[in-house]
Amino acid sequence: MTTLSVVTGSPAVRRALLLAPAMLVIGVFFVGGFAQAIAQSLGHQPLLGGGRWSLDAYRVAADDPAVRSSIALTLRIGILSTVLATTLGVGFALVVRRLGAGRAWLTRLFQGTLAVPHLVGALCIALLLSPSGMTSRTAHAVGLVDDAQQFPALTQDGFGWGIIAEYVWKETPFIAVIALAAMSVNLQRLEDVSRTLGAAPWQRLRHVTLPMLSAPVGAAALLVLAFTMGSYEVPVLLGRPFPAPLSVVTYQTFNDTDLTSRPEAMAIAVLLATLTTMIAAGYLVVTQLARRRHA
Amino acid sequence: MPHKPVLRRLAVPFAVAAVTLAACGTSEPDAPAADSADWSAVLSDAKGQTVNWYMYGGDDALNAFVKDEVAPRLAKRGVTLKQVRITDTADAVNKVLGEKQAGRTSGGAVDAIWVNGENFATGVQADIWSCGWADDLPNAKYVDLTADAVKSDFGVPVDGCEAAWQQASSALVYDSADLDPADVASVDSLLAWAKTNPGKFTYPAPPDFTGSMAVRSLLYDQIGGPSTLAGAFDEQAYTKATAGFYDRLNQIEPSLWRQGETYPTSQAAIEKLYADGEISAYFTYGPGAVATQVTDGTYPESTREAIPSSGNISNYSFITIPKNAAHRSAAFVLADTLQDPEVQLALFEATGAYPGIDVSRTSETTQRTFADVPQSPSVLSLEELSANAQPELASAYLTRIEKDWTAQVLQK
Repeated sequence: MTTLSVVTGSPAVRRALLLAPAMLVIGVFFVGGFAQAIAQSLGHQPLLGGGRWSLDAYRVAADDPAVRSSIALTLRIGILSTVLATTLGVGFALVVRRLGAGRAWLTRLFQGTLAVPHLVGALCIALLLSPSGMTSRTAHAVGLVDDAQQFPALTQDGFGWGIIAEYVWKETPFIAVIALAAMSVNLQRLEDVSRTLGAAPWQRLRHVTLPMLSAPVGAAALLVLAFTMGSYEVPVLLGRPFPAPLSVVTYQTFNDTDLTSRPEAMAIAVLLATLTTMIAAGYLVVTQLARRRHA
Repeated sequence: MPHKPVLRRLAVPFAVAAVTLAACGTSEPDAPAADSADWSAVLSDAKGQTVNWYMYGGDDALNAFVKDEVAPRLAKRGVTLKQVRITDTADAVNKVLGEKQAGRTSGGAVDAIWVNGENFATGVQADIWSCGWADDLPNAKYVDLTADAVKSDFGVPVDGCEAAWQQASSALVYDSADLDPADVASVDSLLAWAKTNPGKFTYPAPPDFTGSMAVRSLLYDQIGGPSTLAGAFDEQAYTKATAGFYDRLNQIEPSLWRQGETYPTSQAAIEKLYADGEISAYFTYGPGAVATQVTDGTYPESTREAIPSSGNISNYSFITIPKNAAHRSAAFVLADTLQDPEVQLALFEATGAYPGIDVSRTSETTQRTFADVPQSPSVLSLEELSANAQPELASAYLTRIEKDWTAQVLQK
């Protein structure tokens, strides 16, 4: 018996070794990339020959009106899209489960929308909701408005309705698919048991179905939140140049033809990552507390 | 020996990871590229190379020109053309900047970029361009290398780091069913028309390339041309020239699309607004391409072009080669091919792009063919476009105008 065989024989070490290539990739591309972003936000400027360590980039970002007005918009779009998509997705899943023959068909429809890229979704929303789009033309044709210009602006609007509409349209089926998958035979049995014990439909939903769904749907909702707060192409197609979500501001600042703007871009990117992580952490803490109280 | 298979299983992923890391860290050694002054050495070195040309890929007519005209000519010289379509030149520049940051000094992925002044200046700032070759191209004899706009790109000295291949001229595109020629004769009359027809005119928000040009067009009109801002950036001259300018742009906002509450973000967006009939006029850098839009029915038949009395803005488009390009000789051949009078003619016919060469230096037959290219009634002729063309400002002015516009117009 050599030492090597002892080492590789241990299951923990073996697992670690087998995971190493994957961890290496995550380490290099994710941790490494994020560390680079932080370093550059603190003044490291490899392209301009070094640079000077300072918090200037954060100060510039804090003073930039584009960033200031962006934070509220980013939070609004991220949280509103996630809450709406989660509520609708779970609602649809509950309805679809009650359907007999239609269930398989509708589930497939939900899965089908998952394959549509967000870019295409955004273009569809633009065709539907823009002032020259279908909704406005229909409203004009049936005499709801006299002129297409009178139709309320739903894309490139100040609130971000067009962007939220796209995210809700795309993410509701995603949540519904996750929720449907979580409604297993096991859940059916638990519901049956609670019914035999005299629980009313509302009580079954409140105390059996939703708690069973909360873990997988919660995880999916976190994914949706992280995505909607960081996504770029949808707000760039459906939003305004100002105020724009942080993702757009970051990219625009990064693409500034003056390379001295890069630290600011990185500072905004770090800010965005921090915001998203904070909300996710807040959500996890709240759910943990709720679960502990429930248990 | 039960542990052997485990080790063997581990060996493969580790080897892959190690090779990947090694590939990130070092780069393949290259043979020294041929000197651009020794053209026959360039040609023989380029044989068998593939040139990765990063260029804007959103123009169908231009893509067809690259595929049908440029690629076969390069193939004849033994060079394979790989057109890498991008939506924003900054993407290509960022790729080279990323390689520089990673220490990749040779064997780079980008061989040639269709670049504009602002992005060229970014690269000069980070010192990523290969220089001193453009005047050596055999076809450079057709280019007026002494012209200001060829010698310096948006105020940044070219120094042979890039070769001109087409000229962009701005023009105002309008629907003659809505506007009369008198309405587009000057910026003043255009804005007066906008006031009586609110919501039918706008421009993309700078830093969009064309939006930035539209704002400069309005500025040129206010200060009577760019002469007071010629040369390098001068704070005093800038303050004087833009006194009241941004206030004026804010004042016209109620007449703009969406009452100027917001602006389209790109040229593509504004072209869609025009095609949908939401607006009736917009500024373009590619007046030649409008003919295709009218022919295929995207734009109304009544589409026309005009040059306001203050003149239009004109600049050259260039091909630049990064220092770390893997196939520099092939990139030289590409740049030379693009300056070939026949290729320039084909470019003009296919896209309406104004030639980057000085047509008067070509043979009489070529000159006559240029003059005989049939023109759509919707677009302006070369003579009309160049009659009162104005030069660009230095890129430092552009950046400043874009920043001030954002702060004083967009964010107000």
